[in-house]
Amino acid sequence: MKLPILTIVMTTIFTGTMLTMISSHWLLIWIGLEINMLSIIPILTKNQKPRSTEAATKYFLTQATASMLLMFTIVFNAMHSGQWTTTNIDPNNMIVSLTMIIALTMKLGMTPFHFWVPEVTQGVSLMTGMLLLTWQKLAPISIMMQMFTSINSIILLLIALMSVLVGGWGGLNQTQLRKILAYSSIAHMGWMMAILTFCPSLTMLNLLIYLMLTIIMFTMLNMNTNTTTLTLSNLWNKSPTITMMILISLLSLGGLPPLTGFLPKWVIIQELTKNNNIAMATVMAIMALLNLYFYMRLIYSTSLTLFPTPNNIKMKWQFQPKKRSLFLSPLIILSTLTLPLSPVFSTLN
Amino acid sequence: MLKIIIPTIMLFPVIWYSNSTLIWINMTSYSLMINLMTLPLLNQAGNNSNNFSLTFFSDSLSSPLLMLTVWLLPLMIMASQHHLMKESLTRKKLYLSMLISLQMFLIMTFSATELILFYILFEATLIPTLIIITRWGNQTERLNAGLYFLFYTLIGSLPLLVALIYVQISLGSLNYLVMNIWFQDMSSSWSSNLLWLACIMAFMVKMPLYGLHLWLPKAHVEAPIAGSMVLAAVLLKLGGYGMLRLTIILNPTTKIMAYPFIMLCLWGMIMTSSICLRQTDLKSLIAYSSVSHMALVIVAILMQTPWSFMGATALMIAHGLTSSMLFCLANSNYERIHSRTMLLARGLQAFLPLMATWWLLASLTNLALPPFINLIGELFVIMASFSWSNVTITMTGLNMLITALYSLYMLTMTQRGKFTYHIHNIKPSYTRENTLMSMHMLPLIMLTLNPKIIMGLTY
Repeated sequence: MKLPILTIVMTTIFTGTMLTMISSHWLLIWIGLEINMLSIIPILTKNQKPRSTEAATKYFLTQATASMLLMFTIVFNAMHSGQWTTTNIDPNNMIVSLTMIIALTMKLGMTPFHFWVPEVTQGVSLMTGMLLLTWQKLAPISIMMQMFTSINSIILLLIALMSVLVGGWGGLNQTQLRKILAYSSIAHMGWMMAILTFCPSLTMLNLLIYLMLTIIMFTMLNMNTNTTTLTLSNLWNKSPTITMMILISLLSLGGLPPLTGFLPKWVIIQELTKNNNIAMATVMAIMALLNLYFYMRLIYSTSLTLFPTPNNIKMKWQFQPKKRSLFLSPLIILSTLTLPLSPVFSTLN
Repeated sequence: MLKIIIPTIMLFPVIWYSNSTLIWINMTSYSLMINLMTLPLLNQAGNNSNNFSLTFFSDSLSSPLLMLTVWLLPLMIMASQHHLMKESLTRKKLYLSMLISLQMFLIMTFSATELILFYILFEATLIPTLIIITRWGNQTERLNAGLYFLFYTLIGSLPLLVALIYVQISLGSLNYLVMNIWFQDMSSSWSSNLLWLACIMAFMVKMPLYGLHLWLPKAHVEAPIAGSMVLAAVLLKLGGYGMLRLTIILNPTTKIMAYPFIMLCLWGMIMTSSICLRQTDLKSLIAYSSVSHMALVIVAILMQTPWSFMGATALMIAHGLTSSMLFCLANSNYERIHSRTMLLARGLQAFLPLMATWWLLASLTNLALPPFINLIGELFVIMASFSWSNVTITMTGLNMLITALYSLYMLTMTQRGKFTYHIHNIKPSYTRENTLMSMHMLPLIMLTLNPKIIMGLTY
């Protein structure tokens, strides 16, 4: 894509999300979401393949449906409560609370509306997939964080639990890396939304750490354009350091102590237990082990075993790496080694 | 405590800046010096603890285990020298870094005050062990072994996390020193039974309990020698240590809930000992023997009498040294004939008489010969279980018999009898190997003279 066009489209995506995040009037929020969705469609179809067009179509259909549902909820709310601010939604209004949750979880890709996430992430390139799974989550989550007091917590907890289950089980049969990261996103969204009605700053914490880890994973996968587990197993030949970083990042994504990925799980379990949701906390924690299993499979094929392959390129050190790695080193350190700094995150409010 | 932890962390730069001639010397000598620094910790007041800070403390239970951990690091390094010979320097450094990080986590685990810190480090020990087993093991089964090891432990310990957080919220603090004063009796409801289960299962999987022991033969057999040593000697004891720490808040539910576990342990002791009699794989025999000894420890901890706690602690230390020594001996066999099958190398006494002495001593301590501390541990546990219920003497007595049987079976199979024809060109014992065995044996013998330092909390 030509650079001016890319700049305009990226700016529009940025503007859309920013508009959603800073407004308190429902109409502007909706407009921001629409701007965001419409401008990401050209990014999705950047490489002109039928698979990308299919992915873009699926993305457009689900997001447009979600936006329509959101518009319906907004107008209904305005009709019944007479005002358009986000903070005064009446939680007793059944239709509003239900359809609001449905619309926003459809935007985020949570169960039972998660079916588009693996397909769309698979159909686009690695960096676009990263944009999809990181930047696109910001706008809906900011809406949910603004109105968290009026969300029906039972429905949201149910959706979160189902998302963690589906994210864990769905990823078990995958070898395509983009689909694995998509299912991981579904599971992490589940964790984030489980704690929203109790303590939204923990949602922010989980979101931050999840964003860092996903950006790292996509960047490292992009270094050698690995899209399947099989190609990933050749990574030890090209760059052994990256195999070690993939090991650490995947273990952190799976939530193993003493890495930073453990921190959101720990504080979410603590907050859920404080609110007497002990069974939910235990079930979610155990379901996260399913996620860990397919990360372990990836780790096995990259770092802990050596795939037999001849080293054809003996002069590879002469070629400069062409792929940009945005802040890879600081992000890796931030997302794996900062568990001792956990009291700092209490400033997130 | 920082005077032990910081030097251990600083072993990382020592490794990465050493060149290939100095790396083994540096590592072994510095870790032996860290040993020396840990020795004063053994000077413990009987019923009190040395509180170094709000985060670290050491009392008569944790200091022998800490001593065992730091004692084991130079031994692991000495044992790994042979199989790492052919690897590149970076790979050697990575392996040693894994050992050092494991050591660091273990030291902090045994001295943590806050139970959540204990939990985080308990889980943290999984990662280096997993990497050591899966990356440097020798057979294809190591992949399965790593997965079993990781997931068995994690499934047990996630409910522990939830239980610890619940206890923190309901009791107010999870600092062990505070918990000793603030503990209350648990109510006798179904939910407190579940809480008891959640607290205990993590350690049961780690010990391991008989029904959940499937990961242990896999992990011990597939791990390289340092991995086997640290698994058998220290990581299993983490389970016992955790249970001993948590018993204070789990009263009086333990009296009701402990029955199925005690029965599983008593039965499992006999089962795993009997399986040892039919093993062909030497490392697998030692692994099952570990399960059997640890079952005694579980019985002791669940019975909660002063004598049983003394026996449990003594047995943990004794078993750590003995099991580690047996794995080193099995490894010396493996390095010569590249097979773990016992049948393939028989009659070694004719070729390696000094090694046969170490085999004899190790087998004798394994079968709990007086006056070694193994006997003290087992005797105290058996006496305590006899006083708890007279019937248990049948099982524990039978177990002692079968333990003696398989230890002597292992000894006679590998050392005595006619040698096999193909082992006439095995290399004689290295000084390194003899040093390794003597460094295992000397603490065992010396502790016989003063066992009160390993008797633990209730001496």
